[in-house]
Amino acid sequence: MSALGPLPRRIAVALALPVTLIAAWWITSAGSENFYFPPLQTIVQTFGKLWFSPHALSDVVPSLWRFSVGYLAAAFLGIAIGIPVGASRNLRNVLEPVLEFFRAIPPPVLVPVLILFAGIGNEMKALVIMFGCIWPVLLNTVAGVRALDEVLAETVRSYRIGRFARLWHFTLPGASPLIFTGLRQALPIGIILMVVSEMFAASDGIGFALVQYQRTFALPEMWSGIILLGIIGIVLSLIFRAIETRLLGWYHGLRQSQRAG
Amino acid sequence: MLEVKGLRKVYEDTSRTVEAIRDVSFCVGEGELVCIVGPSGAGKTTLLKCIAGLLAPTAGGVIVEATPVVGPPPAMAVVFQEYGRSLFPWMSVHDNVMLPLKQKNMPAARREELVRDALAAVDLKGVESAYPWQLSGGMQQRVAIARAVAYEPHVLLMDEPFAAVDAQTRADLEDLIRVLWRRLRVTVLFVTHDIDESVYLGQRVMVMSQAPTVIMEDVAVDLPDERTQLETRSMARFGELRKHIYSQIQLAKQGWRPPAG
Repeated sequence: MSALGPLPRRIAVALALPVTLIAAWWITSAGSENFYFPPLQTIVQTFGKLWFSPHALSDVVPSLWRFSVGYLAAAFLGIAIGIPVGASRNLRNVLEPVLEFFRAIPPPVLVPVLILFAGIGNEMKALVIMFGCIWPVLLNTVAGVRALDEVLAETVRSYRIGRFARLWHFTLPGASPLIFTGLRQALPIGIILMVVSEMFAASDGIGFALVQYQRTFALPEMWSGIILLGIIGIVLSLIFRAIETRLLGWYHGLRQSQRAG
Repeated sequence: MLEVKGLRKVYEDTSRTVEAIRDVSFCVGEGELVCIVGPSGAGKTTLLKCIAGLLAPTAGGVIVEATPVVGPPPAMAVVFQEYGRSLFPWMSVHDNVMLPLKQKNMPAARREELVRDALAAVDLKGVESAYPWQLSGGMQQRVAIARAVAYEPHVLLMDEPFAAVDAQTRADLEDLIRVLWRRLRVTVLFVTHDIDESVYLGQRVMVMSQAPTVIMEDVAVDLPDERTQLETRSMARFGELRKHIYSQIQLAKQGWRPPAG
């Protein structure tokens, strides 16, 4: 692989295609009379009016709140369950068939069920998001704990390192590269389920707003909502990457030194 | 100090049983430096893991400082062959040496002092904040040795610690072990497959047979205590001992073993 160029060059490469696509959309849709595909210019103007108004907060904030609660609960539970399961073969043998079954259930089908006993409030949505996000985190944590280095494990034992220090200084960091893989996979799942759960039964949220616009044939508004979701996805993934770079710096350095050596 | 009595280890799983160690007994006195040498596949690592309390023997046992070994003994440190896998890649050199000390009840200042002294003792200064994988192989093994030294063990077990470093580095590390052993008055049990290394380092060399392992011979190394790579290795006596152990190993490889009893 060629050496990475200077920063401006990299930014230019990264932005080339998005800019081209937006430009193409802008030009081809300019002056569009088609009701379903309004000019991008109109969509952008609507976007500004709609999502930079205080009113928008009443849809965006509940959505992000539900996402955060569901995602973080899934992260916590996935790691907390994954560590003992990864460490114990017996536990794996007992749990694996059940986990495989639950994982095979598409999370959106839980929405009607959860409405029955969790209502149509935030709890139901957070539960749906959690149920979808937990599997990649859980399964990757299990794989990460199983892949812990044996020599390192013996080192930990021979120095009589206690349970808590073992978890904090060995198990968690050792499994963290795979845990982060799971967390990254869970991110888009969480966003999808956030929108889907709001489309079913809600009185606010981005998903709810989208359905409202669609039903009232407010097409520019609907399109702008879709763009907003894309932007939220990118921002979340940038935040995620910043955290990952900080916590997994050692891992990327290690990999690089192994490739070089 | 360290006593191995009638140690036997049989690996059993559903499909087959492998007798790794048949019957091994020996004593190591306080402050002794004893080398164990044997052909590859002699069950050296198995023996060392049993002594380290990492593996339960099938029969017989190990006594360290008048206490039977059932788990890793508190006054023991182990240095493994795979330095790259025995150091925590997510921790700095300083933290790697520090971690086992955190398990010991002592003032923080004392811990810092031990880490500093240990790193100085192995000639590693100025790399405290580096990650292990940023260092050369020889330096990484020095970090592992420093970690063992800082732990203030009474017994130091070394499992082919220099098998994976280049010849030059290896000679330096051998001298380092002699220096540390004499300065710290620690009991050292050093496992190697290298005959020259065993004669150069040890006060005694125990020659192992092939698996199922027994001890072929316990050779006293009557070389002067002051050893240098250049002079010691060119002594006539060094050559004789080397030749004697070499022929024993050859016998071991042909499957010869001392008469029982």
